[in-house]
Amino acid sequence: MNAPERRNLLMTFEVTPTSHLLADYRARGGYAAVEKALATMTPGQVTAEVTASGIQGRGGANFPAGRKWGVVNLTDGQPHYLCANADEGEPGTFKDRWILENAPHLLLESMLVAAYALQVRHAFIYIRGEFDLPYHRIAGALDEAYAAGYFGKPLFGTDFTCDLIVYRGAGSYVCGEASGLLSSLEGKRGYPRNRPPRLTVRGLYQRPTVVNNVETLSNIAGIIMDGAAAFKAFGTRKSPGTRLVSISGHIVKPGVYEVEPGRPFREFIFDTCGGVPHGRNVKAIIPGGISTKVVTGEEVDRITLDNESLATVGSGMGSGGMVVIAEGTCMVRLLQVLLRFYHHESCGQCTPCREGMGWMHRIIDRIVEGRGAPQDIEQLKKISAWNDGNTICGMGDAAGYAALGILAKFGDEFDYYIEHKRSRHDGNLECRAST
Amino acid sequence: MKHLIAEFDALRARFPEGFASSMVLPCLRRIQEDRGYVADEDIAGLVEYLGVPRIQVEEVLSFYGQFRRAPVGRCHIEACRNISCSLLGAERLIEHLSAKLGIRPGETTADGEFSLATVECMASCGTAPMVVVNGKYLESMDAAKVDALIDANRARAAE
Amino acid sequence: MPRIHIDGRPIDAEAGQTVMQAAVAAGIEIPAFCWHPELSVSGSCRVCAVQVEGRSWVEISCNMPVAEDLKVLTDTDLVRAYRKSILELTTLNHPVDCGICDKSGECMLQDYHYRHNGAPSTSRDVKVHATKFHRLSERVTLDNERCILCSRCVRFTHEISRSKSLGIVNRGDHSLVRASEDGAFERDAYSDNVVDICPVGALLATSFMYKSRVWYLKPTASVCPGCARGCNVDLWHRRDEWKLRALDPPKNVAIERVTPRDNPAVNGPWTCNWARDLPGFLARPRAEHAMFNGAPVATDAAIDAARDLLDSAKRPLALVSSSASNEELEAFAAALGARCRVRVKGDRVAAPGEVIEDDILIRADKNANTAGARMRFPTLDDPATPLPADTDLVLAWGEGFDPSRLPGGARLVWLDAWRDSRHGAAAVFIPLSIMTERAGSFTNFEGVASRFEACFPKPAGAAHAEELFALLAVREGAPA
Repeated sequence: MNAPERRNLLMTFEVTPTSHLLADYRARGGYAAVEKALATMTPGQVTAEVTASGIQGRGGANFPAGRKWGVVNLTDGQPHYLCANADEGEPGTFKDRWILENAPHLLLESMLVAAYALQVRHAFIYIRGEFDLPYHRIAGALDEAYAAGYFGKPLFGTDFTCDLIVYRGAGSYVCGEASGLLSSLEGKRGYPRNRPPRLTVRGLYQRPTVVNNVETLSNIAGIIMDGAAAFKAFGTRKSPGTRLVSISGHIVKPGVYEVEPGRPFREFIFDTCGGVPHGRNVKAIIPGGISTKVVTGEEVDRITLDNESLATVGSGMGSGGMVVIAEGTCMVRLLQVLLRFYHHESCGQCTPCREGMGWMHRIIDRIVEGRGAPQDIEQLKKISAWNDGNTICGMGDAAGYAALGILAKFGDEFDYYIEHKRSRHDGNLECRAST
Repeated sequence: MKHLIAEFDALRARFPEGFASSMVLPCLRRIQEDRGYVADEDIAGLVEYLGVPRIQVEEVLSFYGQFRRAPVGRCHIEACRNISCSLLGAERLIEHLSAKLGIRPGETTADGEFSLATVECMASCGTAPMVVVNGKYLESMDAAKVDALIDANRARAAE
Repeated sequence: MPRIHIDGRPIDAEAGQTVMQAAVAAGIEIPAFCWHPELSVSGSCRVCAVQVEGRSWVEISCNMPVAEDLKVLTDTDLVRAYRKSILELTTLNHPVDCGICDKSGECMLQDYHYRHNGAPSTSRDVKVHATKFHRLSERVTLDNERCILCSRCVRFTHEISRSKSLGIVNRGDHSLVRASEDGAFERDAYSDNVVDICPVGALLATSFMYKSRVWYLKPTASVCPGCARGCNVDLWHRRDEWKLRALDPPKNVAIERVTPRDNPAVNGPWTCNWARDLPGFLARPRAEHAMFNGAPVATDAAIDAARDLLDSAKRPLALVSSSASNEELEAFAAALGARCRVRVKGDRVAAPGEVIEDDILIRADKNANTAGARMRFPTLDDPATPLPADTDLVLAWGEGFDPSRLPGGARLVWLDAWRDSRHGAAAVFIPLSIMTERAGSFTNFEGVASRFEACFPKPAGAAHAEELFALLAVREGAPA
């Protein structure tokens, strides 16, 4: 994996062979932020600082973290829980894995700060079950942190104590959704839950629970150490701070990059990431995980890397999982891959997604087999619309966005496929040197 | 399962009170790590140990993709077929694996040595295409690398 | 008391209610598959979606808390279009085999389809196939293709019967309702309720499968006589207009199925499996003939003989039935109550394997009207204690009397509906009608009286106890 080009609020975090170890992390000034928080700030002040930073959730929904924390009533006399969402499963996204593998102590320290702010005695990291090295890195880091006294005993002379458990999933995309994650953490099927109530009111075992993405949490130590103002100095007014982007697909230099919102999209793709192999043009880019709507190569030229700009072309930064698609790639086959995935991962709880995902998958399979009909396109759009905003969690919506985005911008390829019973391109998804 | 109870007890002590239900996933993971799959007697033992309804364990086992109720090959190959891997040749790689092993995804070779499965995104997109072999990520794969892997395993099995 | 508006109608809701609960309380129907008044909110079927005035989207009403001045619309273009889409999705993989489905005629999917969609499916793709005739238990059969995964049955076993025996395995459109493999559903004494609450024809009572179209049947209000709870039930039997001569005659007077009749003060919408087996209990062999000293006689002659015996008795003892109706007990009290020492007899004890008692509905007293009987006659008969030695006549009413308990020299007059080889030991035996042949009421252990109505006429030789006691008390020819 390529090293990020620069690390600003992730404490200018340079990856070395030992950067995941406690000694290395402490040598970089690690665990000073939690000491600062405990020594000089009240829990309310920590939350206020996080709120002031304006940091938005990095898992895909962009919800301001400070506002989420602010819901928790610190004096309600019941246990509160904190959970890091490390169930990174949005296709195209692998930036949390980077943090877990290379900077696990950054997450642990940030979680201590968050746990203090939220008065949490027990915190969790829900990590996807398939992660092997990331699990061993975070579990190893936690062992070190326990041995060093950061967890499990009163910290820095205060009476604040926090225990942390790394909890492994077992293979389910919907568990990346916060409420599905908590169902799973309760040892059950990962069925998402209806809102209301919010998880910050009734979450894990019906107790107030904050679930934050790994990257979101990993920014907390920096925000406390350097202050909200330093965080906001980066990015745009509405998208403050830097954020991690993982880029893959038809790109010369795939990997995890820390980018500053507001940066021209094209410059990032071509200058930083080396552009498309074989000198090809960009046909499309999925900007933030497959659940964000695709942007065309032409649109890439006129937008910047932030939610506000991406919104002008109907998309968003999502989870920062960027997938580059070269010209010559068959979008019908591409959508088939996506719809197969959503069908495979639908938990089956609510009707629109349970029935709709399978239906969309069967339709796209039929189109690819050459048995499509012109009305199939409308049917796909209709099923997408039926899912939009009408499911328990966001997965049904997400599949709809993925389909609607591709159908809106590459509809002619589908018409061609249905009429000619074959792809306008060669039906291949790989990027080859010659057409 | 019985020989794992001491481990389970230690894990249980780390959870807050009232979290017995949360133990279902970690215990099942540990059982599968130990046996290679989850057997009927494991379910019965776990239900007794945790005091959770048996249906909860049955639901969990069938809901999560990683749990298995039957053994797989000694070398279990899972190939990602999601978007980034597909854009970088996963479909060809899976066909190659199938041809090389003589089995389709979901099957095990007659000698029980290899089994093949397809999986969805493993967050290894930047190093696509990827396969997981017995839980370990192998990234930036191609036909030559999987051939070497399979041949090495066959040679080891023949010894 | 937040005031909300549903389709412009003001409703004073209770704080903490959902819009669905407030609507139901006000008699407004919002379609719902997964929502059930006695179960937790699932929010999965999505058909209960409504629109809040001023919003451009729909939301499910079953999980929407009421709030002051909330204005809910249940019949906008958006809501109608959304409901239609949900019904199209719900039937997508449903076999639509109404012609051979037991639920047909009382199926929510069928009703909602015609009310809210009505159009044929727009799908050109094959349906997902799943298991048919899956044996969920000895009593309940599951058709997974008809199942719409509303999870009502699952929640029932977790929240009401607490056997935690049903669940949903697999995921997506391959999800299946299944019973746990430890047989917990087989042991669930309330399992048949899942058949009633299934909104479609997925869960079927094996005993009722293919027995009758539901529109051939009518429900008669009744009370389960199985225990002191007195669950209110409906007894389903053939409608008069559908009684066919060509049909097997007993079928015209058979109870085809039993379902609970919602009574919040007694059983709510539930009843136990024993009540479902009531048809078998009521179809036991009947006592058909009156007898005098063991020989068949006309019922009138037996009544005369019994009256003579009662007349001449000096120290009669009456053992009244704990399964008798309040009306029958009243008639007894008026006619003979002053003449006899009276004890309340336990007619029935738990059969082997029967659930003795639980904290849900089932009571240890297996008689329907012990409370009603003891309100009038406080003394309970103890079968282990000999009857008073000075008794010269015992009037035994109901089943379950052991004639060997008869004190030496005493005569026995026995009134019973069910065949019993020991009836011949009585000096006089008179056959009675059973509860499905008469109306009346039982008072349950909590003092709540529930009425039952007659389904069928009584057989020729049987007497109605309510009429009989007056005849036993009046001397023929004596001045009234």
